[in-house]
Amino acid sequence: MKPSLHWPRTLVSRLSLIFLVGLTLAQALSFGVQYYERYETAKNTMLGNLETDVSTSIAILDRLPAEERMSWLKQLDRRNYRYLLDEGSPGAALRDTPIAVTSIKEAIGKDYPMTVTDIPGPIKHFQVHLKLADGSPVTIDVRPSMVPLSPWLPVVLLGQLALMILCAWLAVRIAIRPLTRLAQAVENLDPNTHPVHLDEQGPTEVAHAAIAFNAMQARIAAYLKERMQLLAAISHDLQTPITRMKLRAELMDDCGDKDKLWNDLGEMEHLVREGVAYARSVHGATEESRRTDLDSFLDSLVFDYQDIGKDVQLSGKSAAVIHTRPHALRRVLVNLTDNALKFAGAAQLRVESKDGDSLSVTVMDRGPGIAEEELARVVEPFYRVENSRNRSTGGTGLGLAIAQQLAQALGGTLTLRNREGGGLCAELRLPTRLS
Amino acid sequence: MEHVDHILIVDDDREIREMVGNYLKKNGLRTTVVADGRQMRSFLESTPVDLIVLDIMMPGDDGLVLCRDIRAGKHKATPVLMLTARNDETDRIIGLEMGADDYLVKPFAARELLARINAVLRRTRMLPPNLVVTETGRLLEFGRWRLDTSARHLLDENGTMVALSGAEYRLLRVFLDHPQRVLNRDQLLNLTQGRDADLFDRSIDLLVSRLRQRLLDDAREPAYIKTVRSEGYVFSLPVQVLGAPA
Repeated sequence: MKPSLHWPRTLVSRLSLIFLVGLTLAQALSFGVQYYERYETAKNTMLGNLETDVSTSIAILDRLPAEERMSWLKQLDRRNYRYLLDEGSPGAALRDTPIAVTSIKEAIGKDYPMTVTDIPGPIKHFQVHLKLADGSPVTIDVRPSMVPLSPWLPVVLLGQLALMILCAWLAVRIAIRPLTRLAQAVENLDPNTHPVHLDEQGPTEVAHAAIAFNAMQARIAAYLKERMQLLAAISHDLQTPITRMKLRAELMDDCGDKDKLWNDLGEMEHLVREGVAYARSVHGATEESRRTDLDSFLDSLVFDYQDIGKDVQLSGKSAAVIHTRPHALRRVLVNLTDNALKFAGAAQLRVESKDGDSLSVTVMDRGPGIAEEELARVVEPFYRVENSRNRSTGGTGLGLAIAQQLAQALGGTLTLRNREGGGLCAELRLPTRLS
Repeated sequence: MEHVDHILIVDDDREIREMVGNYLKKNGLRTTVVADGRQMRSFLESTPVDLIVLDIMMPGDDGLVLCRDIRAGKHKATPVLMLTARNDETDRIIGLEMGADDYLVKPFAARELLARINAVLRRTRMLPPNLVVTETGRLLEFGRWRLDTSARHLLDENGTMVALSGAEYRLLRVFLDHPQRVLNRDQLLNLTQGRDADLFDRSIDLLVSRLRQRLLDDAREPAYIKTVRSEGYVFSLPVQVLGAPA
């Protein structure tokens, strides 16, 4: 497989990368330009020096008596070149003419004819051969090299790089933090239970986003509240006429229509009640959490069913004390149990501890179950399973939606699945905050 | 002359209160209907009644305020049956805290109302409670337990909620309302019967044993509910009325 470069996923790394590459390039460029300028200056200075120095040195050697020349060589040596009083080393003819040779030629070429040879070897150098006025040979051994860089320079460069990385990281962090906070706030957005008020301070753009977020949150809360009020108002205003109608129907003389009317009114009443319950479950629970003994809680629920002659059984023991909202939890389980009773005529509840940090309460029946493709949709409000007896039994399509909403409000999850051998299994998972 | 129970119905909807009134009259009760709290107060000035049916949602003073007034005034012993608006737990709790003896959710059936009225009358006649639970004193303490009479559950010494089924709660309330007094099975059954009276056929003995389990009471040597041979049961610990839970 070909290794490929990926554009990094996070904004932090992307911005860091851009900053870092940009700053490093800029730094490299400015260093390069300075280095070049330094090189040029140094070269010109050196060549100027070379011209005067070489002509002076050769003139000195020429005027000295032959036996004294040797003792002067030491003083004439320079870092890049020195003088030898012999024919020099054998070498090839020079392929190209270094700038130093041109300088030397310019300085003394008129007075002394010279040949230049390239000396092969690990250290590249060349020699200029010439003859003094008395005919004795002199060789200028040149080893071109730049003035070496100071050893502290790379350290400073590395330091600069580290500084750039640090600054880029800091800048990106500062720029990204409000974004992360905003994303978190949106994620936790639940305008009813705990509105998150974002700090409206800071840089203009951040403050602007925070203000916009807070306004949006307030708007959502207002919409939800309005919906609640609307539903509550409708249900309240419906309740008086329904009460009147129910009483009137009840006091009517017996006839075939009386029962039908009575049943229709019962359905209407149920729908109004469930509608308000659903609106409340979406609106978030106002009920307080309390320490609850789960086993006695489930016992009492099951006994209440048994006392009115319903076939509801409980198995398992949790021996758990959980922090929960008892009314909401009861409502979830009652809705699931009622559902099971409606479709199967009987319900089995089972409680289990799962891996220490969660509990599961399952409500099972042996009814017709729900087609796999509809399992996810039945928890949507007002969704009714097609071809079921639901319509004829007068369901509102809200029972499971309410259960689902409240399960979430309790910090739990509700999962529906079909049982092996037929029937539905509704599992409520609850976190255990044992204390 | 035989006593005919006199029921006062307070509801702002004319049709509802008249239909209810007529239905109850047909079923052998004496009824008076009024539209609001002002009329209720002036009627009660002159005539004591046996039970008041009170609607919660009313213009002016609502049912909760009126109920509190009744409990604070000279008719404090008159049973009150509330008609509540929504089938919401919080409404029920508030109604009972204000001192109502029972409640019924609108829309209701007239025959259910009649059954409730009779049940409340029977309960309060048969054995007037020794304790009066009020808005501020709705916690009953006995042994290691406290009973929250509005939320209808037990609290142990750690404040952990131990739930009770409807029948268990009603039986425990009967015991706590009449502590250290022997109650026979008939009395217990009558006092314990609640809204589902016609379906309730569990024997008192079974219910007592369930309650003992809930209270972690040893059946062989019970500390709370003792069996009195051939007579019935007695709640053997003293009961204290406490303030509302923190």
